[in-house]
Amino acid sequence: MADVNITVDGKKVTAPAGTLLIEACKSVGIEVPSFCYYPNLSLQGACRMCLVKVEKMPKLQTACTTVISEGMIAITNNDEVRQARKSMVELLLGNHPLDCPVCDAGGECELQDMTFSYGAAESKFMEAKNHKDEQQWSPVVYFDRPRCILCYRCVRVCGEAMDVWALGVQNRGVVSVIAPNKEDHLECEECGMCIDICPVGALTSGAYRYKTRPWEMNHVGTICTHCGDGCKTTLGVRRSDSGMQIVRGDNRDKSGINGDFLCIKGRYAFDFADDPQRVTTPLIRRDGQLAPSTWEEAFELIGKRFAEIRDKEGGRAIGVVGSNRTTNEENYLLSKFARVVLKTNSIDHRRTADFPAFAAAMVGKPHAAATMRDVFNAPAILVIGNNPTEQHPLLAWQIRNNVRLHRARLYVINSRPIKLRRQATSFTEIPQGTEGQAAAFLGGDDSAAEALGSGSREMWVGLRDKLRGEGKLIIIFDSAIRGKDISALVKFGSAVSGAKFVCLGDYSNSRGAADMGLYPDFLPGYRPIADASTFKDEWGDMPTAPGLNVSQMAEAAAAGTLKGFYVVGSNPVGGLGLDPFAFSNTFVVVQDMFLTETAQMADVVLPSANAYEKAGTFTNTCGDIQLVKKAGEVSDVKSDFEMIVRIADATGFEVRKLVPFGGRGTSADMGQSRGAQSGEADRHVVWLEAHGLEPKMSPFDPMAILDEIQRLVPGYDVSRMNLLAGNDQHTTTVGTGQGGVQDAKLIAPANDNLFTSGTLGRYSRALNSVIENRNPEPAEEVAAD
Amino acid sequence: MRFSDEFEGRFSEMLSHYPTKRSVLVPTLLYAQDEVGYLSDEVIAELATRLDLTELEVRNVISYYSMLTTKARGKYNVQVCTNISCMLRGAEEIFEHCKKRLGVGPHGTTPDNLFSLEEVECIGACSWAPAVQVNYDFHENLTVDKMDQLFDECKKEGTQLRNL
Amino acid sequence: MPILKDIAAIAKGMSITFREMFAPTVVENYPDGPGPLKGAKVEPRYRGVHVLQRDENGLEKCVACFLCAAACPSNCIFIEAAENTNELRVSGAERYAKVYNIDYNRCIFCGYCVEACPTDAITHGHGFQNASFNASNLIYRKEQLLAAVPAHLGANAIFNRADVEGGAAAVPVPGS
Repeated sequence: MADVNITVDGKKVTAPAGTLLIEACKSVGIEVPSFCYYPNLSLQGACRMCLVKVEKMPKLQTACTTVISEGMIAITNNDEVRQARKSMVELLLGNHPLDCPVCDAGGECELQDMTFSYGAAESKFMEAKNHKDEQQWSPVVYFDRPRCILCYRCVRVCGEAMDVWALGVQNRGVVSVIAPNKEDHLECEECGMCIDICPVGALTSGAYRYKTRPWEMNHVGTICTHCGDGCKTTLGVRRSDSGMQIVRGDNRDKSGINGDFLCIKGRYAFDFADDPQRVTTPLIRRDGQLAPSTWEEAFELIGKRFAEIRDKEGGRAIGVVGSNRTTNEENYLLSKFARVVLKTNSIDHRRTADFPAFAAAMVGKPHAAATMRDVFNAPAILVIGNNPTEQHPLLAWQIRNNVRLHRARLYVINSRPIKLRRQATSFTEIPQGTEGQAAAFLGGDDSAAEALGSGSREMWVGLRDKLRGEGKLIIIFDSAIRGKDISALVKFGSAVSGAKFVCLGDYSNSRGAADMGLYPDFLPGYRPIADASTFKDEWGDMPTAPGLNVSQMAEAAAAGTLKGFYVVGSNPVGGLGLDPFAFSNTFVVVQDMFLTETAQMADVVLPSANAYEKAGTFTNTCGDIQLVKKAGEVSDVKSDFEMIVRIADATGFEVRKLVPFGGRGTSADMGQSRGAQSGEADRHVVWLEAHGLEPKMSPFDPMAILDEIQRLVPGYDVSRMNLLAGNDQHTTTVGTGQGGVQDAKLIAPANDNLFTSGTLGRYSRALNSVIENRNPEPAEEVAAD
Repeated sequence: MRFSDEFEGRFSEMLSHYPTKRSVLVPTLLYAQDEVGYLSDEVIAELATRLDLTELEVRNVISYYSMLTTKARGKYNVQVCTNISCMLRGAEEIFEHCKKRLGVGPHGTTPDNLFSLEEVECIGACSWAPAVQVNYDFHENLTVDKMDQLFDECKKEGTQLRNL
Repeated sequence: MPILKDIAAIAKGMSITFREMFAPTVVENYPDGPGPLKGAKVEPRYRGVHVLQRDENGLEKCVACFLCAAACPSNCIFIEAAENTNELRVSGAERYAKVYNIDYNRCIFCGYCVEACPTDAITHGHGFQNASFNASNLIYRKEQLLAAVPAHLGANAIFNRADVEGGAAAVPVPGS
């Protein structure tokens, strides 16, 4: 768009035509205060705080609704404007209770800041304030009516951005009030966006209410441990009796790929960490019972038994199961540990998408994997299968707001009338389980159209032609499309100019687990076992025959040939339905936070730290790699990384060969192994990296193995400095072209909805309280044009 | 829920007047209120479905306009204007009289469901103040006696209708 | 005559000595004096050991806003907040301090906390006899800092209602 020149406070400003005055001012560092204005939401003009003088206009104008025009001269700071702001604050405070000392927003309240910067010290109003009792709208949302300043941000974010429309404004004038959709309570997605966006303390979080104050916490920006989207969540932590307790989660740091967004899980479901059922001491089975023990004893026993089995029966007698929620470093280490220390290729994890097939199909297209940010900017999007609103809330947010703000065209092919159809240009319903056929049809197999139900052949051909005509299409699919269907879809995408792909996996590091080679037949980077040369040079000797997958391990255990079973942060018995009795003669070691079905049958249970209690990196489902930082701390648990290293040590393996730590001449652990605790420490890490001084002194420092990952895993050679600074970096998807031979039946999607999250969700009080409070029938879907 | 054919006719005609469905909400609410007497939960749910709105949005609009109500009213809704012209010519006296005569306060309904009383802002009949609007009919240049007359007539008509 | 100058100087100096010799003493007879303060005299604005005040209903004034902890330059105040319920009402507002510790190893008695307090809950008392051989004794807990329940409320009716209803004697709770 053409540029427009204006003058603000004597400064020349040039901005594209159509820019709002408030944004133009911001671009040159002139702050115009406002409450109701919020970027990317519709304009309201309700608070009158942004009044500025515009020359040749008779009265003060609201900067948030004034579009700049050529030659406009605005003054944001003369007596008239200052007086107007002062009066506005005075009016807002007319009935706003001055209970800042108890209010949760105290210290991070926009009204406080504005009163401090622009308000008057005294008020002309003598009237007694009108009090109304606080209301609880849902287990996680409280509403304090007198504090509300009626900026309508919550109403707009809930409706426009979330497409939930659960909040409204009732009555008018001075008696206006924000109202929830079900008379006195909310029935919504419980995302808490309204709380986050509230400039005052009118909407407060049930989880954080009255617990502490913002300046009393350390704020750690880390990656959410729930779904595969990789939102950045800022965890507020406070010292507690047993370490550091996570008190709240929010997204005050809007630099993440999620921008303004967080769903209920990222915001509230951190409380599994303090669940009383959490295991906090190593347990060893004695006389059929799991009894508390010491770390030394446990590691010694595990090391001895694993070494015994390996030496006597060979590495094939040991099976390893990795996790979808451990960091890349841990997954890589586990992969290396299994092959190099235990001498087995029998390593697997719960597969939630066919990533090997995806990587194989992407050969020669290293830049065709879309980032999460791309989804917000693409002109056209195709979603086949999945229900992103429930399973990938951030993805749904990106799609929804792309459609709303950029008029992107959305094509949905699904077996259910998913909520995203409301944003869709075209919604095509197909019979259940025929997503693969849809992909095949798009890939050119016309005969597949017959399985696709009632839609006529012409309709399908028309849709395909239309999609082919879309430039820069992003094609999104989940585990319903596997194997050759993925290659068909990628083939179809190749015909579209600039098409990109997203393959949806379910857990926070499902993609990372796949990339790091938690497969019996793949090394990290989807490199087949047979083609191990690069890794052999680095890792040393390892077995060359493909190992067993999870179900084969269970069969081998039942047949008595699997003697050792090592499970890291996974629950194959509960999640994949393995028969626990099959393992009765197997030495089972489980690292987990809770006594899951798998842990209950274990011989040794090691209490592990969760992703909020350790450092490392996560790769989200799009392949964006991000830094995970240590926020919480619970005494007497260890990170999976440390436990793997210690077990290797206990088997007599030289640890330095497993984790290449140290070696730069410095002789102190400079804190990395304990994880960064505050912004200052983060900057220190970046500084060290910039000067080539990262110490990596301890064998338990995940950063020591990140070097190896970046060197050996194709696509992971991203900017280390950007990564450490907390920015998302996109890994390129580089396969070897041999990934399509996986058994598609092994893929077991998580099928979590908005309020469940595997094992973690089972132990989250916040999620459970929301589930209990919901009506059995799903909330009525709403629509608005 | 079912509305009369007249309502349905008006409704479908109105839909063609506007680019978006939700625009017909306010007139539709008025017609529905005339037909049902007030905007019951059932009406709200029905209109929300028809217009692709949430019930909350419909309620928001209803609560904005004072002539829309979600509570049952009497057969005759007596709206006494007490804005400045009427007030100067004795509207307050008339309003007080109405309260006494009907035995209800503002927004009240008599036990026989015949009358409900409301104090309203200017109804645009300043030249003939004081004025009262009963349902859609204007009654002007009122005095207490005339008001009594009006009540009697309404009562007669109302009881007759009821006895039919 | 330098010697005369010296004599004059000595005489001037000694005159102060002799004058003070006959002036009444200003040394307090602490700790051998009478009364609970053992003879010490404390000026009204003396900043001693803190007192957490109660309101006219006997409820704690502290609402756990953490402003004192934020203002404290020696970082000696530790607070844990909790929410009042109908069953347990401790302060007048929604929130109260479940834990309120002041570490007198660190406190420098600057009075910033008192300045910061929006509810006038924390004040400086006149206590100064807090020396101890054991540093851990110097961490004062809320129970040690709280003012006594006002006498007219007698039985601490709000806190121990259950006790009173259960027939307990209506006497102020010692130490609170």
